Amino acid sequence: MTTPLSVHRSNSWRTELNKVLLGKRPEGSGRLSGQQQASVPIVQNKDERAVFDEVFLPHMAEAYRLAQWLTGNAYDADDVVQDAALRAFRGIRSFGAVNARAWSLAIVRNTAYSWLVKNRPKAVFFTDDLSAAEQQELEHEGPHGTRIETPEEIALFKAEAEDVEHALAKLPAQFREVIVLREINQLNYRDIAEIINVPIGTVMSRLSRGRQLLVALLADRE
Amino acid sequence: MIASIKENDELQMSAYCDGELDPPSAIEFERRLADDESLKARYNRLLSLRRAVRSLPQYELPPGLQARIQSALNADAPGQTSLRGPVVRLGHAGRPRQRSWSFQALAAAAVFGAVISSSVMLTIERYNPHEDVAREVVAGHIRSLLAPQPFDIASSDRHTVKPWFTSRLPESPQVPDLAAQGFVLVGGRVDVVGQDPVATIVYKHAKHTVSLTTLPPGQSVSDQAIAGYNVRSWSDPEFTYIAVSDLPSADLASFEHAFSAGSPVPETK
Repeated sequence: MTTPLSVHRSNSWRTELNKVLLGKRPEGSGRLSGQQQASVPIVQNKDERAVFDEVFLPHMAEAYRLAQWLTGNAYDADDVVQDAALRAFRGIRSFGAVNARAWSLAIVRNTAYSWLVKNRPKAVFFTDDLSAAEQQELEHEGPHGTRIETPEEIALFKAEAEDVEHALAKLPAQFREVIVLREINQLNYRDIAEIINVPIGTVMSRLSRGRQLLVALLADRE
Repeated sequence: MIASIKENDELQMSAYCDGELDPPSAIEFERRLADDESLKARYNRLLSLRRAVRSLPQYELPPGLQARIQSALNADAPGQTSLRGPVVRLGHAGRPRQRSWSFQALAAAAVFGAVISSSVMLTIERYNPHEDVAREVVAGHIRSLLAPQPFDIASSDRHTVKPWFTSRLPESPQVPDLAAQGFVLVGGRVDVVGQDPVATIVYKHAKHTVSLTTLPPGQSVSDQAIAGYNVRSWSDPEFTYIAVSDLPSADLASFEHAFSAGSPVPETK
């Protein structure tokens, strides 16, 4: 298997954000998969509201959890989920009858970022995916420097819930979202890739780096 | 380069704990994990991080939210105003669009129907019990490739795979590791052919997966290609074997060779 060692994404967070905000992805993917899966009759034969109830509603609790983690608090999550529900309802025709969960969460995720840009511009924090140099820097910053950690030292690692929550909240958005989608929403790589609209290899490397960052952040707390 | 080796470790470790590493890499990683204390410690650290993240308090949906959304939706209708009901009844806005949808639906249905009926006819035409077996075996192979991994039990150790079969099936085949011949044992699974569970041994050759399904002896299945997969079958007194892979048929032939040489028919018990 070829594991991508570096992520070929040098775009700034701004591009990332533009993609999120301008991306017509849920609609586009809906149309695409619609061709194969003949989604048209599904939407045609049923009331749009009924389709919405079937597609989006079952994922509300998850949608709320995701929104909560992306925005950082419950009030904002409330607004985001309402916005997202409205968007989903208006775009229900574009649902391709393939993966209701990924489709719904993608809308929630995109809504969360556009909501944040509008209402809390300072809170949105993307970084570029870490370059090799930054990666090294991260390792230098660790409490043990570049020295190779011994198994005993590694075993001292503690992850208290409260610290983990803070550390996760401190992660740059593109690392936090993959970790939340993976661990909290417990999605597989393919679904995560669909939701955040990046290749699976990128999901894999962001998860790996996000986890390393978390470990480093938690080690720093002592 | 130490840095890149380390980075690759991290990637593999991360993907492995998510169950997203491809089977040969997973097995290789397990081997390294068993040997490398430092890697094992880092892996355990990753697992405790995961446990901690997963046990974070889960935020429950606020009770009123769903109701608020429902009422917001009642005030909203896609592409139309809240007067949607009367508008639709009068047959204005929205009508032409709906009609175009239904034409598309009709066209889609027609195409779909044509595809279905032609494939049914093809099936009828080609029906043949033995070829049916081959088809089912290939279906099992395809399904396994779509699953996260093509086996139910992952192991490169024949002494793990064989007992696993023995505990599940009335008849279990020899499970030789043919790594020396280029076919690495990666695991086994149970396929169902007809109504009977049968043992399938899974090998890897380079990046190709070979499924070797073992059926009761005395069936003749011709070598053929189904859905782009090569099928090769042979028998010994104990089993009829069907090997399925996207490998060229010459490679499947050498697989048969290696397997037959590697699994002598056991002495009578």
